[in-house]
This record gives sequence, C-alpha cells and structure tokens, in this order.
Amino acid sequence: MSMSRRSSRADALPCNGHSFQSFLQLKQIASRRNYGLSALEFTPATQLELSRYVAENAQTERRTLCPVGGRTALHFGFSAPEPGVLVSMSQLNRLVDYPARDMTITVEAGMRIIDLQRTLAEQRQQLPIDIAQAERATVGGALATNTSGPRRFGHGTFRDYVIGISAIDAEGRLFKAGGRVVKNVAGYDICKLLVGSRGTLGILTQVTLKLRPLPETSAQLWMTVDSFTEIEDRLQRLLTSQVRPNAVEVLNPAAAALIVASARCELPTNAPVLCVGVEGSRREVDWQLDVLTQELTSIGVQECRQVRDHNADRIWESLTDFQTCADDPLTFEANLRPSQCMAFAERATQLGVAVQVHAGNGLVIGQLLDEAATIDHSTTILNELRPLARSQGGNLVVLHCDGEWKVRMPMCGDAEHSWPLMKQLKRKLDPQGLLNPGRFMDGAATA
Amino acid sequence: MTTALAESSLSSARSQSMLDRLRAIVGKDGILADREDLLVYECDGYVVEKKCPDIVVFPTSTEQVVEVVKLCNEYQIPFVPRGAGTSLAGGCLPIGGGLMIALTRMKRILEINLRDRYAIVEPGLVNVHLTQALKGTGYHYAPDPSSQGACTIGGNFATNSGGPHTLKYGVTVNHVMGAEVVLPDGSIAQLGGTVEDVPGYDLTGLFVGNEGTLGICTKVIVKLTRDPAAYRTMLGVFETVTDATRAISEIIGAGIVPAALEMMDQGIVSALEQAFHFGFPLDAGAVLLIEVDGLEVAVDDEAQRIIALCKQTGAREVRQANTPKERQLLWKCRKQAFGAIGRLSPSYCTQDGVVPRTKLPEILEFITACGLRHDLRIVNVFHAGDGNIHPILLFDERNAEQVARVLLASDEILGKCIELGGSVTGEHGIGVEKISFMNKLFSPEDLAVMSLIRDCFNPKGLCSPGKMLPTSAGCGNEHVPKIKPGRRAAM
Repeated sequence: MSMSRRSSRADALPCNGHSFQSFLQLKQIASRRNYGLSALEFTPATQLELSRYVAENAQTERRTLCPVGGRTALHFGFSAPEPGVLVSMSQLNRLVDYPARDMTITVEAGMRIIDLQRTLAEQRQQLPIDIAQAERATVGGALATNTSGPRRFGHGTFRDYVIGISAIDAEGRLFKAGGRVVKNVAGYDICKLLVGSRGTLGILTQVTLKLRPLPETSAQLWMTVDSFTEIEDRLQRLLTSQVRPNAVEVLNPAAAALIVASARCELPTNAPVLCVGVEGSRREVDWQLDVLTQELTSIGVQECRQVRDHNADRIWESLTDFQTCADDPLTFEANLRPSQCMAFAERATQLGVAVQVHAGNGLVIGQLLDEAATIDHSTTILNELRPLARSQGGNLVVLHCDGEWKVRMPMCGDAEHSWPLMKQLKRKLDPQGLLNPGRFMDGAATA
Repeated sequence: MTTALAESSLSSARSQSMLDRLRAIVGKDGILADREDLLVYECDGYVVEKKCPDIVVFPTSTEQVVEVVKLCNEYQIPFVPRGAGTSLAGGCLPIGGGLMIALTRMKRILEINLRDRYAIVEPGLVNVHLTQALKGTGYHYAPDPSSQGACTIGGNFATNSGGPHTLKYGVTVNHVMGAEVVLPDGSIAQLGGTVEDVPGYDLTGLFVGNEGTLGICTKVIVKLTRDPAAYRTMLGVFETVTDATRAISEIIGAGIVPAALEMMDQGIVSALEQAFHFGFPLDAGAVLLIEVDGLEVAVDDEAQRIIALCKQTGAREVRQANTPKERQLLWKCRKQAFGAIGRLSPSYCTQDGVVPRTKLPEILEFITACGLRHDLRIVNVFHAGDGNIHPILLFDERNAEQVARVLLASDEILGKCIELGGSVTGEHGIGVEKISFMNKLFSPEDLAVMSLIRDCFNPKGLCSPGKMLPTSAGCGNEHVPKIKPGRRAAM
C-alpha cells in the first residue's frame, strides 16, 4: 500500500509516441486543475486492501473517493466539490483467468487496454470495442465511462460484453454480479448498471468479458460526397445493402483533415466524407468493398478510395481517438436518432465545429475549433445545437472543456426523465455521497 | 422490507369494494374473480407450485396499469404481472395471492421505424408477431426463444429471454433500447429511449431480467437487426454424446461463432423422429444442429471448416439442409422438441444450467452418471454453443418416490454447474424454482446489494413478492416448498 501526497502529474504521462501528445499534456493540466494538487492518492495492491480502506474511510474520515485508471477521462463531468482521495487502480492490473477456448477472460480493472488486447491477439481473439488512448486507458476506466468507437455499429458496446463484475461499494463491501459464463440470468444484471456509471456507484475491481474472434482483415471505403444530403441518401441505401458494414462514419472536412493527418494517410478531405468499414476474410472484404462501391458511388460522390491493411488500421485508430484528439477547447457528444444526424452535422459544420458521426448509431462527436475559444462563443454554439439534439429525444453532453467553464456547460446533458430515479438509486447505494462526486447529475448546471 | 402477504386474502367487504373499483378501471370484461376462471392462472410453465390469484385484471393501457397498481398500494395487496405464462421457473406464480395483472390485451405494435432501426411495442405482443410484421423489410427482432409462438415481449423483457440464435446475436437485453415501466408505487418511469447512449445509468439494462420485481413494463423499445444475407444449416451425426460435445468445443475453440449450435441426444432424436419423421438417424448417440450465417461469399467456407472439425471429432456424417423448407423443418423439430417428449414419459422436468463451454463433456458425463445413480432417464436438448444445458428428467408424477429422486438429481446437476464455474439459469430465470440456489451462487454481500436495488424501487415488496431473491428469516415472505418438479416446458 502506498499513500502519498501527489506532487507532479507530469511523471504519469508515458512516452507512447502518440500523435496527440501535446493534447494529452493539456488534458493533464486540465485534470490537475479539476482535482487540485492537494488530493491524496491511494494505490491498493489487492481487492481486499481496497475494501478495507473504503470501509474504514466510510466509518471515519468520510473522504470522497475518486477511482482512477489511466487518467484519460478525469475531465468527465463536473469538478469535484472538494479534494478527496484518488484511488489508483494501477496495481490491480492482473490477468485472473483466460480460458481462451471458452472465449471469456477475467481481469482486474486496472489492466491497460493495450495489454488486454495483446493478450487476446495471441489467441486470435479480441474485445471488439474501440477504446481511445489504449496505451493508458484501463479496462475499469473504459467500462466506467462506457467508451466506444466506430465499430460499435457492428459489434455493440461494453454492455454487450461484460458478463461478470466485481466492485466495492461506498461502505467497502466487495460485491459481484453475473459470473464467468456467457449466458446467465441469475440475479439483477448489475453489470449493466455499472457500465457507464463513472465510478459513482462502486469502484470496479474485476471484470469478466465475452470475447470475439479476430477477423482476418478489415478495410474502409472512403468517399468524399457533395453534401450531407447526398450522404443521407447513401445512408438510406446502406440500410438494405448486401454488405454488412462494421462501421458507418461520416466526417465533415475539418474532422476528416484531423483524422487523416493523425493517421498519416493520403485521403481526400475537401468535402464531407462517408467512411464505411468492413471486416472478415480477405475474400469477404474484397467482395464487400466491390459491392459497396457499386451500391454507393453515383453522381454526388466525388472521390472513392479503398483503405486497406496498415492504412486501415491507422484510420481505425484515428477514428477512435478523435473523441480525445484535438487541441481544441471543447469536445461534445450528441446522441440522436440516426435519421437526424446529417441535418445536425450540417448545422454544426456551419458553426465551425469539427464533426465525426457514428452514423449507424446516431452519435455525433464535435470539437469546437480554436476560434471558438471563449466561453461565450462556445455557449452560443452549444445553445444552438442542443435543441436540435433534444427535438427527437436526444441529448448533448460535454465530454471535455476548460475546468473553469464547467459551471456553465451541459456536462451531463439536459435532465432526462429517469434522473430522479437514478438519484434515488445513487442515494441508496452511496448514502454518504462518497463515490466520485460531480461526475453525474449531482453537479448539473445549464448553459 | 414490509410485506402485505399476511393480509392478502381479502376480507369479503374489502374484496367487494376493490372489485368495484377495479371494474371501474378496466371495465366489466377486464376482470376475473370467479374460482373456476382463476384456475387457469394458478401456475405457468412451471407446474410444481400452484397458487390462485384472488383477482386477474386485463388492462388495455398504461394508465389502467397505473390505476390498478395504485389501488393495490391502497389496499396493501401484492400484485404480479403476467404475459403468456410460459415461464419455466414460476415467474408468474402469484405468491400470497393478490392481484394478477395480465398484459395480454396490451399487444399492439406502436411504431416500426426502419430508418432508425427500432420498434416500440406493448408488452403483451407475442414475440413472433413482431418478426412476422417485419417480414420483407430486411430486418427482424433477433431474440427467438423456442416458445416464441406464445411468449410475449414483455415476458422476454422481464426474464431476459434467450433462444437458439442468441449465440451470435445476444439475448433480450442486447436488443432493448428502452422501456416504459410502471413502478411498484404506480408512478411511470421512462427508461432509455429511441436514441442510444442516453446520459445516466443504464436502468434499461438493470430492468431487463428483473423478473417483475422492479415494476411492470408497459412499453418496450427494441432494436431491429438486419437479416443475414445467407445461411447454411447442418446436422452433424455423432456416435456418442462425448464426440458431439468435443466437436462443440473444437468449433468454438477455433474461433468460429455459428449463428446457432444446438445439441440433441438419442432420447430426444428418437422422440422427434416419431413425431416429425424428419429422417433422423435413430442409432446415433447425438446430433448437432449447426447454423452459420453471413455473406454468401463466406458461409460456404465457414460451413466447410465446421464440417471438417466435426469429422475430426468423429462425426459419422454431416448433412446439409439443401432447401429453405428443409431448414425450416429442422428448426421446427428443434423448437418443438419439448412437445415430442410426451411420447417418452408422462411427466418431465427441465433444468437450465450453464457451464463454461469447454466443460460440456464433463457436465454431460455427470448427467449420465447422475441418471444411472438415481435410476432416472435423462435426455438432453440444449443450446450447446452457449454452454446452456437443458437436461430433461423423465418421470411419472404419480410415483412420489420417483419424484423425490428427480428433485435430488436436479439439485445435484445444478450444484455441479456451479462447481464447474457456471450458473443455475441461462435464460429461464430464478423465479421461485431456483431461489434456493441464489446463496450458493452469490455471497451475502452480493445479495445485500441486490436487495438494496430491489428495495429502492419496490420498498413495500408488493410487486412480485417472493421472486428471485431469497428473503432473510423473519420477513414473512415464505415461498411455497417444492413438492414436485415441472413437467412441461418449451424453451
């Protein structure tokens, strides 16, 4: 067990050769601002040690507890009202059980995503969820923030892969739900409740995941299209395509340029981009690219390129990292019906936002560019876009912004109908409000 | 937690005033209260335990459900929702009597939106009716329990139902985006929505599989899934069950995820052959029904790999379904396997254990030995690809001593599933049937957290009392002792 006053956070930044390093440094600064240098840090070596610590804390000091993994999402939500204890999961990073032939794995929550993926790749298996900054992000952190990326269209999200979970509640009680088998309906599905709960209901300690085979290869068809209206036409054709894409991405030129630059690929970005991903055997991929080209290219499409092999891998990575990639002051995510996305993307483009759309799922990620770097201008843009999202039951949350702007930003989106129920549940499971305050509705403010 | 079970048998005066008020809510035709009418509702697909509700109501709208639930709160009587009553675990058993809220008249499809790939349906809609409504659109609703011709989407929601094709496509929760739920206090909650990633906790995910203990779902928003472009359906014929389970292990281990992978042993095959005359080999130890789906360019390669693996593990032959009609007949046989069991035995009891897929040979050997030890005939038809076993114990319910052996053998089999790292239910639910296993699967801490969650939404315990979670001593929430095992089922 180690307990130390946090000094500098710069040492926590690994040299990962990542193309967005300057951005990462910015994020570090932002998170230091959010959490204050005075926060204590506790690094348990075992679940039991953590459980005892949390139990003792609940009885005595009642400090607020902020579980951290790779510290890639500390900017989520509002600033904590008071500095508490950072519970670092870095030593709870062991592989517990990997019966590869059962296609399941059990790991501790602090395991880095990249280590998980490497272990799985040796057995030609994968967790088919795109997680940004995989060198740093941990399984527990990715799960607690319900991270995803372009391939969620074909493969789903964490809720489709977590089959068992262990966590420690605010009283220090170690509890589990689910199990280690792929099909199991015994008891409440607390796994689902904890996915995306941002550490506010329990500190995740161990996870069992369902796995998928690694496909032989994957590729994208990258096409520039005259307008968002023309892209909507292609999206509708894709609904009954002969192909089964694993990703349907739409980028405006600003986002496309960022993604192409970070992937170090030569691809056109001078018009809105429709990027359709496919995977499978070489034969399947070849066939799908051919059929997609026939189905989608007609008047309205300017250029159409196949992205294969290493280039495809790099594009996947950049499409995944876009949500964390810009040097820009604000990143938001809007969740819409898929049919609303192109109108939203068009308006956001007019407002100068770099926009990525997971078009099959109705998710829009926007980076406000430098020119918008004042709180007033950013607020104006968001106030324009949010009603568009709200009009069909969607919402808009701010993933990242300057720490001082947070009080005026919709960090968690507008209140949803079920929030009072969620608050009730939070109070039941964490009556003293010790677990990660500020991350969810409790700090809600409106712009 | 308080409970109203003790008072649940209504005094006649109170009963009369409640009946009058219920009639005002659901109308004269929406209520049953005569003893002979109620008999139908004394059990579901789990016939071991029986209890008549005092009253059954058939609301036709969310508002009526709300009014009914509020009335139950006012009178402090327990209530339980019911769909088609196909539960195999006693999920619809009205413990302590009280009111049964039958949702079968709320069966409309409210919206189908193909562009945004969702449908909104009422809970009483029969599962297969949604798929029928989608025919020709290129989309379907993926969860396909074998009882899909009868079971309702609301019941599927409450129990997180599976089915053969969940191996590749996932169970009910993977296909539910949101729901409208009437909570145990009569308030309405809107969970999730027609968009993904609604900010906040995934209450939708928590409510799927709640077995009616957190509320009554009155609308379900489901995802629609693109139809596969092509199928190949095969029947692998094996000399022994052990060879067949080794083939399953090899297929999954090779990184192939078939759309479905089902095993039927000799006992089931001979019953099916008598019933359907498909041409199953009667001397085979076991057959595997294997389906792959995907792109036309890929399915043949995948089918060939599977055939090679089956041959390697000793398959006598692998037949392919050559026409859609043959495929349909194969699936009809599989899904109606339980109907055919009547030819083998007057009564039967099905279990729903799960083991890690590589442990299938071990659990099946255990089941065989268990049958010999207790002098019982046990046949198997199950979702092999998921490791979800359904041993069917055959018996004659008039023979009390045999019934006792069936109960003992069932408990031993489920105990072995836990020992092998599995679970006691893959898709049927805990209900009342397996409640005694909860403290073998979960620690007191696990159960305490689950109880907190139940009490958060269902503090008075009026909604589906006595289900899923074992109750601590002194709560007065007794559940009916298990007298004899279930005899009919259709997974």
